Amino acid sequence: MVPCIQARDISLTFKPKNRDPVTALKELTLDVAKGEFVSLVGPSGCGKSTFLNVLLGLLKPDGGEIRLNGKQITGPGQERAMVFQEFGLLPWRTVLANVELGLELKGVQASVRRERAMELIKMAGLAGFASHYPHELSGGMKQRVGLARALVTDPEVLLMDEPFAALDAQTRDLMQLELLQIWDRTKKTVVFVTHSIEEAAYLSDRVIVISARPGRAKDVMKIALPRPRDYEMRLSAEFNDIKARIWASLKEELVTK
Amino acid sequence: MTGLTSFYREKEAYLLGIGFIVFLLALWQCVPLLITLPRGYALFFTTPSRIAATFYRLLVEGQIQEHFYVSVAAFLSGLGIAIAVGLPFGIVMGRSRTLDALSDPYVTALNATPRLVWLPLFILWFGIGIWSKVMIVFVGAVFPLLINTYAGVKNVDRVLVNVVRSFGANEWQVMKVVVLPNSLPYIIVGLRLAIGRAILGVVVGEFFGSSKGLGFMIASAASNYKVDVVFAGVAIFMGLSLILTLSVKKLENSLARWRPEAAKNF
Repeated sequence: MVPCIQARDISLTFKPKNRDPVTALKELTLDVAKGEFVSLVGPSGCGKSTFLNVLLGLLKPDGGEIRLNGKQITGPGQERAMVFQEFGLLPWRTVLANVELGLELKGVQASVRRERAMELIKMAGLAGFASHYPHELSGGMKQRVGLARALVTDPEVLLMDEPFAALDAQTRDLMQLELLQIWDRTKKTVVFVTHSIEEAAYLSDRVIVISARPGRAKDVMKIALPRPRDYEMRLSAEFNDIKARIWASLKEELVTK
Repeated sequence: MTGLTSFYREKEAYLLGIGFIVFLLALWQCVPLLITLPRGYALFFTTPSRIAATFYRLLVEGQIQEHFYVSVAAFLSGLGIAIAVGLPFGIVMGRSRTLDALSDPYVTALNATPRLVWLPLFILWFGIGIWSKVMIVFVGAVFPLLINTYAGVKNVDRVLVNVVRSFGANEWQVMKVVVLPNSLPYIIVGLRLAIGRAILGVVVGEFFGSSKGLGFMIASAASNYKVDVVFAGVAIFMGLSLILTLSVKKLENSLARWRPEAAKNF
């Protein structure tokens, strides 16, 4: 079977003006199967987010090849959508107008996109907040908007860049659970970047440990926990074993830097 | 009684402001009754009641209207051209590094030059009349608009640009959906500055290079010692500036509905 995402030897070096170049990614290779939930964990600055931006098509790698369903990624496309770390909502737009964004840019008729956006607003648990502005929402609600916005164009691949990092612990637990339910229903392929080992282990089919800069795929761990997963699963010994294994791999990267 | 007290509480700032203006006007009105001015000073002195009477007479004679239209025409044309040039130029300079580098020396140098030094040249080129005034208004108003628009475009949140790009937006859509709305508060500030400078341009243009307009009316009245007429002209400019400032504020508030309360009064 052809993997949904195929990244081969991706290298990327940033060359900021008046500063030393930074090699963010070096020969990173990984595959993601269709419908799979994959998390990338790694030390700060290891290039996880950079890789997501390469996947999204906003950054071009200097070397290597990245394919989606066998086709080379050359730029943004509607089969991919990103959920951003700091939400990235347009503050002058209402919830509805934010969620509609992707359809609006595609030139979808106003009434059609409104209907579709309202559907997703409801699914994201934001019913009744369509005409609110982002500054009137809590962090958790903002990221629900971010999620609804990413899903509005019905992308095949969902890219998530530390989407819950800015949320408090309880909201985070709740959002993880809801994300799993949405994923279960929509069967998206998800690439999820996080700093949290627990989050990665809880959500993913596979966890990929990225080395300290320059980032490579260092270890790949299959998470064989049954689905659907619930919060109680996190208390099991099996879950703790998985966390310990990820931690052991990650620790070496933290120590060397 | 309590009704009156609560009414006062509610409108305190407003009532105090108006009350103090009325008090000062009354005081001014009483100056000739309180002290006898020497003849030389009395010639250049006037009272609010005389100004009001003169204002009314000029209005009935249609003089004010005639000058007013000339000034407003110069103001609106100059400001209009400044907006039509300043906004697109500011946006393009903010988005294109090449154009930024090309035009930055000119913008910086021209903006730093006192704008009135151009007036003699404009009078030579465009003659005594509306166009030399329009040009001096334009030169005054265009830079605050251009520079503020540029700053707004430069300050655009890169994350938001990426968000919109990730949905496949082209440069035009990025501009429309992110860059322009993001720059709007800056543009309004630029507009506020531009209006002040445009009014100044009208006045000075009419002082020196005009045979009509409110500025001309003031200058020629002053040289004929008609102090009442000068004050009538000053009052019109005050009123005009006040109305324009308040309308920009209103525009600002209506555009800022999406902002948190705290940020509204920055």
